[in-house]
Amino acid sequence: MEEIMKQFVEYPSDPYTSIAKWKENTKKKVIGIFPMWIPEEIIHAAGMLPVVMWRSNEAITWGYAHVPPYNCAINKSVVDDAVKGKLKFMDGMVFLRQCLQSQEVPFIVENNRPPAFEEYLYLPPIYHGDKASKDFTRDEFKRLRKRLEEFGGEKITDEKLNESIKLYNKNRSLLRKLYDLRKENPGILRGRDVLRIVWSSMLMPKEEHNKLLESLLSEMEKNGYKTAKGKKVFLSGCLCIHPQLELLDMIEDLGMLVVDDDIYVGYRYFANDAEITDDPIGALMERHFIKTPVDPARGEVEVNWGKELIGKVKKLNADGIITLLTKYCPPHLCYYPDIKVELANAGIPEVLIEVEHEVISLESIKTRLQSFREMIGGR
Amino acid sequence: MNTQYKINKLDTSGVGPLVDRHWRELREAKEKGMKIAWCAGPMFVYAYATPNIASHFMAGYAAYCGGRGMADEVLEAAERYGELRDTCSYHRLHTGMAAMIMNDWPVSNPQVLLPMPDLLIGGRFCTEMSHYMEAIHRRFGIKAVTIEIPSARSREDLPRLEKFLTDQVKETLIPAIEEVSGSKFDEENMRSILRPWKETCIIRNKCWEFFKLKPSPWTLWDYGVSIAPVFYAMGKPESLEYYNNLLKQLEERTEKNIPAVHPDGEKYRLYWDGWLPWSFLGKFIRMMIPYGAIPIAGRYPWEFFPHPEDINTEADDIIHEWIRLIYTSPNTLSYHDGPWGGQEHIEDLIQTYSIDGMLFFSSNSKYRKKIRHTRDCH
Ligand code: SF4
Repeated sequence: MEEIMKQFVEYPSDPYTSIAKWKENTKKKVIGIFPMWIPEEIIHAAGMLPVVMWRSNEAITWGYAHVPPYNCAINKSVVDDAVKGKLKFMDGMVFLRQCLQSQEVPFIVENNRPPAFEEYLYLPPIYHGDKASKDFTRDEFKRLRKRLEEFGGEKITDEKLNESIKLYNKNRSLLRKLYDLRKENPGILRGRDVLRIVWSSMLMPKEEHNKLLESLLSEMEKNGYKTAKGKKVFLSGCLCIHPQLELLDMIEDLGMLVVDDDIYVGYRYFANDAEITDDPIGALMERHFIKTPVDPARGEVEVNWGKELIGKVKKLNADGIITLLTKYCPPHLCYYPDIKVELANAGIPEVLIEVEHEVISLESIKTRLQSFREMIGGR
Repeated sequence: MNTQYKINKLDTSGVGPLVDRHWRELREAKEKGMKIAWCAGPMFVYAYATPNIASHFMAGYAAYCGGRGMADEVLEAAERYGELRDTCSYHRLHTGMAAMIMNDWPVSNPQVLLPMPDLLIGGRFCTEMSHYMEAIHRRFGIKAVTIEIPSARSREDLPRLEKFLTDQVKETLIPAIEEVSGSKFDEENMRSILRPWKETCIIRNKCWEFFKLKPSPWTLWDYGVSIAPVFYAMGKPESLEYYNNLLKQLEERTEKNIPAVHPDGEKYRLYWDGWLPWSFLGKFIRMMIPYGAIPIAGRYPWEFFPHPEDINTEADDIIHEWIRLIYTSPNTLSYHDGPWGGQEHIEDLIQTYSIDGMLFFSSNSKYRKKIRHTRDCH
């Protein structure tokens, strides 16, 4: 088990070096993609490695010449890394319009450290699920495919695309299996390990990640599922970034166990598969329009995040929800008050923790989590 | 000897009654059996063009609340509901007002009361605009139509973005307006509003020409307070009258050599980026004027129908014509509004209006246009 975990941890511990090393060994191209909805499968089918851009490992410095401090963590961090030249191992980058802040990042990158390949997808919100938005999304994915073909010099056939979708579906189903095990056996893995398992999937080749996951799952089965005791909590939010590992440790140290989540570096990343059909681009487009888990950045008017959370918490028989709000993220900020009201009306305890890139006062978070712990059943 | 600079404001008092009338009519619209639409972004034109719909142009409400000294009270109501301060103040003003109305919370100045809407139209030029539509929809079950209006990254992208927006409007927005109004969308009425509106904006643009003069006879703040008639009296004779009067004043000042800054005109001409600080216009100008500096141009005030000459009000497909103005018309708003075209636009404003310095007003309570257009600074 430990040996397997070590391999999962390698990429998240230092993505810059690990990915550069992979590139050196394989002589393949690396394409950084901005969270949260760019279909990695198209890039994989082009014979390249898609890696989801991450919150960096150091304080923002040069980035503040380009974005104000009140931008969200992923924007500040990607800009900072890019202008410092820390992302130069990426042969290309794909950005998207998912919120006001993310639409500005490519402009700054282009003006300062343009990668060899760059694309910007105008991916629309999914409110009405209208034909116009669906047709447009399909065209955006086709455009990405064509641009990658030109860049990589290889045709991305439907067969190749379906192969990639199959591989990615497999990865998602393995991760879902791991999550199901955690739901049934709270505490089976530490929160920090679960996070690093998911995060490593965003950084390393899926072929390798699938093998590691299979080994881990069989090892866990062999060893028997050991559970731990504690109050069961659900983690919600944390759009686009991974939370601090210390924060996850703190939750456990206070006697709580995360049994499920809808965070981005979590269930949100692997929730939805694309179907295998004769029209793989169409299948990826259809996945874009799936309305759950509710994504406030993609817009919703027909489903409700608060209600979705209530359903999940009841099903899990969880004791409460810890909301992780990526500071200065308007989609989540604007939605949060209604989630709070819904949960209060349903009598579900909830606590809000703001997650930043660097300025995070663990002491004040601890105080909040302690009172939350008392609220759901003191120690 | 140090020059003692003093500001010499234009007479913009005509705006007050015009604005008050707009809000009064909006408050009374329900009694007259009209439907109400709250609209954010450029798609408001379609609701405005519908005879039995009274439209509330949401971006103007911040300036109005600020002007009536009510911004704090309404923002506090939003927080009482649970809104977080890091959201845009335009968002909180509307969710705050909605909370006040629906919960019967006291409003110390009823002039800022809004009628609750029957339809919400969110044009996602700014994505947060759609978030306040969604929030109001969730809280009060009001029908919300949100339309994606991406800013173009390159001019090449404009035709397909234009098609996308046209398709959305025809597929989703127009049917929603027809459903709420109970009648077929009236294209002829849209033309009849756009014709005088175009005429008004052409006069307004003649006023902009005076910003090119050195010394300038007016400041960006004079224009800022004069923006309102463009959308509050859209296509109405009083709006044309207002700008004709403004033009007359500017011509008179130019003829008589009366600058906006006493005694001899401005020393520095500033470019102002970002939205205008409606509640603090006076405060800011008092900080600039001791140095002889005044704001002259900015992207935000140039956003409202900046190129009326580009629209063909007699176009067969008038629904599409408004969208063409945003995308493929010669002075494409969508490109200039985004970061890429924004840089070109800023450069153009700097040249055209002989700008000496730039001020980036980057406020965390309103998110648009906040990146710094920096390049190769390392
Ligand atoms: S965290 Fe929020 S604001 Fe930041 S890029 Fe993601 S969706 Fe946009």
